[in-house]
Amino acid sequence: MTKILFSDKLDNCVERWKKAGFSVIGPVQRNNISTYAAVERAAELDLGLILTERSIKELFFPQSEPMLQYTIKKDSIETKDFLPPSGQRIIFGARPCDASGMAIDDPLFGWDYKDEYWFQRRNESVIVTIACTQSDDFCMCTSLKLAPDSTKGSDILLRPLENKRGWLVEEITDRGRDAFKAIADIVQESADTAAPLAVVEKKFDLDRSVAWLQNPENFESRFWKEISMRCIGCASCTFLCPTCHCFDIQDEGDTYSGMRRKNWDSCSFALFTMHTSGHNPRSTQSARWRQRIMHKFNYFPGKFSVNSCSGCGRCSRQCPVDMGITETLQEISKLSQ
Amino acid sequence: MSEPFEPKIIAFVCTYCTYAGADLAGTSRLKYAPNVRIIRLPCTGRISPMFILKALQKGADGVLISGCHPGDCHFTHGNYHARRRWMVFRALLEFIGIPPERVKYSWISAAEGVKFAEFINKVTEDIRKLGPFEQYTQLIEETEAAASL
Amino acid sequence: MSIEEQYRTRAKELLAGGAVKMVIGYGKGTTGERRRPIFITSPDEVERLVLDEACITNLSGYLVSEGLLSDEKRVAVFLRPEGVRAVNILAAESQLDSDQLVIFGFDVVGNEIKALKGIHVEEFADVIESLKESAPGVAKELLLEKIESMSPQERFSYWQGEFAKCIKCYACRQACPMCYCRRCIVDSNQPQWVNTSSHSLGNFEWNIVRAFHLSGRCVECGNCDRACPVNIPLRLINHRMAEEVLGTFDHFAGTSKTQEPVLASFKKDDSETFIL
Repeated sequence: MTKILFSDKLDNCVERWKKAGFSVIGPVQRNNISTYAAVERAAELDLGLILTERSIKELFFPQSEPMLQYTIKKDSIETKDFLPPSGQRIIFGARPCDASGMAIDDPLFGWDYKDEYWFQRRNESVIVTIACTQSDDFCMCTSLKLAPDSTKGSDILLRPLENKRGWLVEEITDRGRDAFKAIADIVQESADTAAPLAVVEKKFDLDRSVAWLQNPENFESRFWKEISMRCIGCASCTFLCPTCHCFDIQDEGDTYSGMRRKNWDSCSFALFTMHTSGHNPRSTQSARWRQRIMHKFNYFPGKFSVNSCSGCGRCSRQCPVDMGITETLQEISKLSQ
Repeated sequence: MSEPFEPKIIAFVCTYCTYAGADLAGTSRLKYAPNVRIIRLPCTGRISPMFILKALQKGADGVLISGCHPGDCHFTHGNYHARRRWMVFRALLEFIGIPPERVKYSWISAAEGVKFAEFINKVTEDIRKLGPFEQYTQLIEETEAAASL
Repeated sequence: MSIEEQYRTRAKELLAGGAVKMVIGYGKGTTGERRRPIFITSPDEVERLVLDEACITNLSGYLVSEGLLSDEKRVAVFLRPEGVRAVNILAAESQLDSDQLVIFGFDVVGNEIKALKGIHVEEFADVIESLKESAPGVAKELLLEKIESMSPQERFSYWQGEFAKCIKCYACRQACPMCYCRRCIVDSNQPQWVNTSSHSLGNFEWNIVRAFHLSGRCVECGNCDRACPVNIPLRLINHRMAEEVLGTFDHFAGTSKTQEPVLASFKKDDSETFIL
């Protein structure tokens, strides 16, 4: 007998959580895109998607974050600080790849400067992950040594039942346990069994690829130009990636008033490394693609002991020219044989 | 008691015709609505659609653009280029849902002080009736608001 | 011999003989339905080329990538009619020399591939002319009709909902062959004409500006629409602009490599219906 949450009780849960002071966020389809958004009722959630098109990253690191507002007056300058909206949140229906992505970025945002925007939201969020019983050709969590039921970054893991009537509840952290106290009487003991998990074939050999990347002789390899010829230099992959975290601080305003904002930036943009002198150390798309792969699988793990990738596959799924990390690492795996 | 709505209107005009026409309206002591802020450019050919968008972004309820009559451009054909640009931009704004009544174009020469005053008065009145551009104001307010999630 | 095989043979000949240094075409993608742009430089690689109804992406944008054509050698490229139109525009705007290109023209009629005869852009003039003639008669898609029947406020709300999704990834810009500016208007920060933030205001401005900069230049290849990761129906805006310049100025972008850009030229008797 295990703890089961039946899906027909989900609306009750949403009500309870809202009464307990949480806002409830989950995967939704809105305006022809699937993303995470706050809901009032369980019926608004779309829990049947393999993966939302937009990632959970936006709930912790929005595309544009207001930081401070300034007003220049005759004898003074007034500023008003902006912090994220405060309030506990239950994120119901995240995927293991998305949840682990947030855990991957925690050391980065707490590295040399503790990013209060990130951590306020992290500390106020309970992530309830649903394990995957389906995958598509682009999923690659297993290649990153994760799995369709990874608990990394999750506070509660729900395993879909074989009879599709709900989920098996696994409490992972104290935060998750506390949040589920509010629905303790809704969760029942039952003998229902979990459905088999999605089978996600390994697409590449991670260790071999990383070793190849760490070898300084391969930095100038012709491989980089060949693999990235079709890359058009947009930011689709970086912006949809749950672990990509580069940002740019912009002051939007005029002589009298304005807002300082933290916006997403992308290493794929041609001007990303443009210096004020006019020199651009990464002036070719192949240099930029190389940097992306090196950062995710060489430099980032060098600092934080974890690859900056959770295998969600969005980069490959959404790329306008069918690129993405998977193909590059597959080719590198082959090269290093 | 709430104040009556006074529209904020920005006018982009060319130096050699419309601006001179506005000057003439002034020296002739013609009265026209004070709601308009005139921005002088050398020629309507200099007017980029970005100016119109920026004016709306800064809270304008209406935008006017005016220059020399076709054939009379001080720079020979700046206004011909402008005319083409306006035709295309107007269709674009209309498709996006920015009401064409808020962006007006005219030819006013240096001798047409009366036409200038009448034009300003009419447009101000029309936009006053339309009311503030609330849909755009909402967008502006969003840029000054805290993050939503 | 299928058209795919014919073109593979031609590609092999051109590469083996040194007539071209590269063939830009389509290869198999990650999944069965996908095709990806490939760049072949050796005759042994021609088997990687595929040609079928899934080959949709307009490849002409790669022709203006940095340095590709600067060694004055020739490049072969698979193009649909809109791709040829794109090359005409790029040539008219002095971005490339179309004599450096060997065009493998093709079109998809129903589900079948049709080869288009010709190597140089001039040879496709008839095909393009018939596209121009049939353009006004093409049925509007339902969504476009729906938008056109909305009031201005409804239209604004509709686009607000769509542009709220925009994340400023610029995939639309990068995928577009006509967006070749080294420093795009969004990259200018003195002054900052278009905000990089993804609030709705900045998104409106970006999408309006891009549509305007493409007026009279867009060939409606759909690259931008397909590239957008958040499914904004960009094709509708660009289509509306193409319709406008055709109706008002009889301008169909890309009819020849000497065609004058519609907003860089004028007629003294251009109609004016709305100027007071």
